[in-house]
Amino acid sequence: MSALVELDRLSKVYSTRTGDVVALQGITLTIDEGEFVAVVGPSGCGKTTLLKILANLEQHTGGTGILGNRELGGKASDDVGMVFQKATLLPWLDILANVLLPVTLKRRASAADREAAMDLLRMVGLEEFAHKRPDELSGGMQQRAAICRALVHHPSLLLMDEPFGALDAMTRDALNVEVNRIWRETHKTAVLITHSIPEAVFLAQRVIVMSARPGRIVEEIEIPFGRERTLELMGTPEFAALSARIRRDFEVKAA
Amino acid sequence: MTAIDASNASAPSDAAVLARPARTGWTPRRRQLVGSTSVLAVLLLAWQLLPQALGTPSYVVPVLSDVLVALFDPAAFPRYLEAAGATMTEVGLGLAIGVGLGLALAITLAQLPTLYGIVFPYVVAIESIPKVAIAPLFVIWFGFGLSSKVVVVVLLAFFPVLVNTIHGLRSVDRDQVDLFRVNGATPMQVRLRLLVPASLPQIFSGLELAVAASMIGAIVAEFVGAQKGLGVLILQAQGRMETPAVFALLIILSALGIGLNVLVRLLRRLVVTWERH
Repeated sequence: MSALVELDRLSKVYSTRTGDVVALQGITLTIDEGEFVAVVGPSGCGKTTLLKILANLEQHTGGTGILGNRELGGKASDDVGMVFQKATLLPWLDILANVLLPVTLKRRASAADREAAMDLLRMVGLEEFAHKRPDELSGGMQQRAAICRALVHHPSLLLMDEPFGALDAMTRDALNVEVNRIWRETHKTAVLITHSIPEAVFLAQRVIVMSARPGRIVEEIEIPFGRERTLELMGTPEFAALSARIRRDFEVKAA
Repeated sequence: MTAIDASNASAPSDAAVLARPARTGWTPRRRQLVGSTSVLAVLLLAWQLLPQALGTPSYVVPVLSDVLVALFDPAAFPRYLEAAGATMTEVGLGLAIGVGLGLALAITLAQLPTLYGIVFPYVVAIESIPKVAIAPLFVIWFGFGLSSKVVVVVLLAFFPVLVNTIHGLRSVDRDQVDLFRVNGATPMQVRLRLLVPASLPQIFSGLELAVAASMIGAIVAEFVGAQKGLGVLILQAQGRMETPAVFALLIILSALGIGLNVLVRLLRRLVVTWERH
């Protein structure tokens, strides 16, 4: 497996009126192609900043970062698909047009693009809703459509910023199973930012624990479960032990 | 699966999407319609009967039938038509220019935060002036013809469109902007495919206010000094103590105002199709 993301002592400093604020410090991290990495940490630990740097929405101020074969911080790359905390669908477009947005911002959507979008919608059980408007869908369905949109242009990296934080627990569990299946079927490299330790353990192959002010990586934990994850896994002693260990790291090192 | 988070409270649940209840008989909407029609009938009846019962003279409050006679007077009809044409020309021209200027300035200001910071306090200050009070000045500057009325209407239509559009443009969701940026959208694409459509509800709210304001502007400007228009006819009828004709002209004015408002709301429904009513 070759590395898709290589961060070397990456840092981010915001200059504010009251002085510099170090959001990220000495972030060294390698993510292999096809890997699923989850980043957990207290609020204010810079995990969203890290994600925005990977998405080229913000520029780092120190160190180096490489995504694929290009340096981070240059021109915006379209090699990234992003899922936000809210579904962030455009209410004036139907679901299919929303899913196709990353394509139509570049060029006219071809028949093949439409087919790819419909395949994705089929994969998450939304093919009947392709021509509905977002407000006709439930919150969970909207977030499924947002995942399709993040994948439609075949990006090499899928970024998710607390994607299910606004959903109820049942919907959240169902979507986690869905994300696991999508990840297995599409072989994407994925980075998930989350508040939820069980969610991180459930989905990721590796969990990164970050601390607040300045945001640093304090622990990396390999998750030894196979690629396919089911909800039963959450009830096993191994799952509980790993979650507890991360929670300890969270309290001891990240606080 | 009944729990839906507050942020998604407006979104229907999966079950609700699949099973919407069928409409039956007395919908709240129909009840409202019958209710408001009854109110109108009672008011019209009172208008016909009360002035006579109370012995109010016709030049103070004419009964409904007198007003209707004045309204449908075949001799007056050409004058009404010409005056309405003049007033609506002022409104139409002023509205078109005012709305165009308001939209253009709003889009410019929303993109230039520094200029916005400099200009916006003045916009707010001017907004709070009763602008019709400037109408006499415009008559001095632009004369008794069409242009002074159009300028007053422009001034009154401009501000609600400007303020509402800026508000709409500036309250566009940050994540939506990030979504466009992460997908490599150009600034022009962000403007045309995100900011403008996302602000359409507020733009139309501004337009509704502008329509109401521009009718006021045209009439007041005509009161101040004009040769043609419904405002002129109202003043003439008042001068002759022809109160039924004043009421008839008010009815024409109201009908035109309501018509314009309905037109804008219809347009809003056609354009802003994703809005819930």
